[in-house]
Amino acid sequence: MTSAGTSAVGPAGTPGERRAWGWVASLREGGTTPWAAWTGEAEARGRVLPGAQQLELLRRLNEAGRPTPALVRRVLEASAPGRGRPDLELVGAVDPGPFGPRPVDPADLPDDELVRVATSVLAEDLAATALPDPPRSGRPPWRRRFRLVGDPWLADAARHALGERGRHPGGRGATVLVLGDDLATMLTDAWCSRVLGEGAPPWRDWLDDSVSRDRVPPRVDVLRALRTWSDRVGRDRVRLVLDPAALPRLTGTRRPLPPVPALSADGAELARRTAPVLGLLALPERRARLLREALLPRLLAAGGPPLGVPLALGGWVHDRAERVRREVLAAGYPVVGDVDRLLPRVREGAREPSDAGVLDLAARLLLAGRDAGHDAGSDFSPTRTEDHR
Amino acid sequence: MSAKVLLHVGTPKTGTSYLQDVLFRNQRLLAEHGILYPAGRFDAHFLAALDLMRLPWGGLETEAVGAWDRLAERVRGHRGTAIVSHEILATASRSQVGRALESLGHGSGTEVHLVLSVRDLVRQIPAEWQENVKHRSTLSYAAFLEQVRDPARESRIATWFWGVQEIPDILDRWGHDLPPERVHLVTVPPPGGAPELLWQRFSRVFGLGDIDLDLHAERANPSLGVPETALLRRVNRAANKVVEPAHYRPLVRELLAHQTLSRRTRSPRLALPPEVHPWAQQLAAAWSEEVARRGYDVVGDLADLAGAPPLSRWSDPDRPAEKQVAGAAVDAIRALLVENVRLREEEQRLHGELAEARRALERSYLRPSYRLREKAVRRLQGGRAGRGALAVYRRLRGRSSRSA
Repeated sequence: MTSAGTSAVGPAGTPGERRAWGWVASLREGGTTPWAAWTGEAEARGRVLPGAQQLELLRRLNEAGRPTPALVRRVLEASAPGRGRPDLELVGAVDPGPFGPRPVDPADLPDDELVRVATSVLAEDLAATALPDPPRSGRPPWRRRFRLVGDPWLADAARHALGERGRHPGGRGATVLVLGDDLATMLTDAWCSRVLGEGAPPWRDWLDDSVSRDRVPPRVDVLRALRTWSDRVGRDRVRLVLDPAALPRLTGTRRPLPPVPALSADGAELARRTAPVLGLLALPERRARLLREALLPRLLAAGGPPLGVPLALGGWVHDRAERVRREVLAAGYPVVGDVDRLLPRVREGAREPSDAGVLDLAARLLLAGRDAGHDAGSDFSPTRTEDHR
Repeated sequence: MSAKVLLHVGTPKTGTSYLQDVLFRNQRLLAEHGILYPAGRFDAHFLAALDLMRLPWGGLETEAVGAWDRLAERVRGHRGTAIVSHEILATASRSQVGRALESLGHGSGTEVHLVLSVRDLVRQIPAEWQENVKHRSTLSYAAFLEQVRDPARESRIATWFWGVQEIPDILDRWGHDLPPERVHLVTVPPPGGAPELLWQRFSRVFGLGDIDLDLHAERANPSLGVPETALLRRVNRAANKVVEPAHYRPLVRELLAHQTLSRRTRSPRLALPPEVHPWAQQLAAAWSEEVARRGYDVVGDLADLAGAPPLSRWSDPDRPAEKQVAGAAVDAIRALLVENVRLREEEQRLHGELAEARRALERSYLRPSYRLREKAVRRLQGGRAGRGALAVYRRLRGRSSRSA
């Protein structure tokens, strides 16, 4: 097959190419007609025809809203990042030849392919976000000294909210607060936290790996954290904190900390897929901040059902949680809150992200624009409440 | 603006590592002849390719941010001939190709030439599977072949393979805007030929014939035999979950594969199964015909793409001779032990240095003025003026550490 473009076929092009350029022109104007139903023609307006993935993504954006001319241009010029199917030709636009991938009807493309292209454009939006200077981390000597470990989602949120009040963790003789929750929630927390950190495999792959090894992921293994920190600083300076309302008192602040919102299943998956692309557009330190301070607030604002552990794994989660609870009690670690809070609770939500939901979310974020819907620099903040989790 | 850019975009396993090593080590000599090979580090063009194609690569991409633009800027700032070379560029999309060509000066007066080095599919298919295994894959050879031969080409394996190996399609994407005389196809000679023949072809197309280059290779991408590749695949299965990519690269790919297992050259070589041969050769014939029809500059012989006939005794890497695998495993264990000894010795040396540093620190604490100085520093750090004064003091004293 030859790629359709002006120089390969002459300025006029074949009827199939003129039809394709006609479709491109209509999509640029906000058209939503599927390729299979399109009949109009136009002259070539570019070096090569955009790929089927880019054109179908633009059509979906047109269905969902009114993309700006700049967004239209960026979508049409984008390539799907990472490994996967290349930019594909439109079936009927070019003669299928013996070489290259087969042309496709864009309507047949799986949502997953469109998400790939969307993550590239979304990562560009994030990379262009201006971030405020990071807060200073000085700590007056009279402030209560504490260290936050355990569930990374809770700990990061608490660290951030306390930091905004000038209360930073650390210091000699600090009390170690091991933050915990029910194991099912902590599993989703660990994955979400990893998604926004060093990256993670898909939710089910990651979770199935833990189950197959019969092992709680280290970052939410509160028992291990309690043992490690007790050995390091002594048991009297370690607390397992299961009551979020107690956190202000333990960290020396009076006002309650804001609740910890839950990231939606589709939001987490979109972050998982966007983060690696962002790694090619921003240096690691800035990338980490962009994910937390630019992407996360937008995902939280978009809402959606939170991620939950599949029902089929409920038995394993319950057994592991029960074992942790039993060992915490047996070892006599100091617990702030009800130790039964370690046991899984019934939680509504999605058991897995869906490609359609992720694509819909990506489209909404792209349409909202680079600066809409978020306030860079103020990401989520601590202390979970039942309303939010 | 460069007068001429020679853009080498692939394909993998065609002597590209050797070529890039020679170009990298001879940069100064090349510059004396007006040729720019802009690379501050050996893998500079690889990083630029990752950046151009937004291709995550086991964490290495974090070093690639902005790499293509920096490379292109250096090319544009040069007045003579510039060479850019990396084999994964073969898989770039049409829009990425457009961006790459424009950034290198195409359309603004620069004469861009495309170079594609190619090798027969009979060797490329097993070589690609082996590259996958050297990049943590646990896929069997049979499954790899099945995915590659699937006409739908929807798997990650197939899309990558054809993206970097399907010669007419690569030339469609990269040569779309270029006249055929500026598209150069370098064929890799068949096995058993003169070893310098490939270099002579590269030398001709890159215009290096009159330069007395140091051709001693420091880097290459050597091949493994059947039992060695089978062993590596088993290692991947056992260790992938516990060895992070950043450690896998130096320990498995470099130490085990390249430095140890590749030296076992008497084991059976990887090859195409005899029943797959006709398919591969039919494809190669169609490609050769298409390339000849398009009128590109062929450096070498299109007949090289036909590949060697099937082996009389084919060795299946999915069912290797266990005795040979065991031999390879012993070599691997020996290499890991030697490396472990080196690391232990290094650890001991560092422990010694650390102990010495601690003793020096303790001596410093024992000096009577220490507490006074510590208090003064703490007080100065409490205010902006104090911090400024400390910074000035440290600059004058010529040390970068923050605390006293």
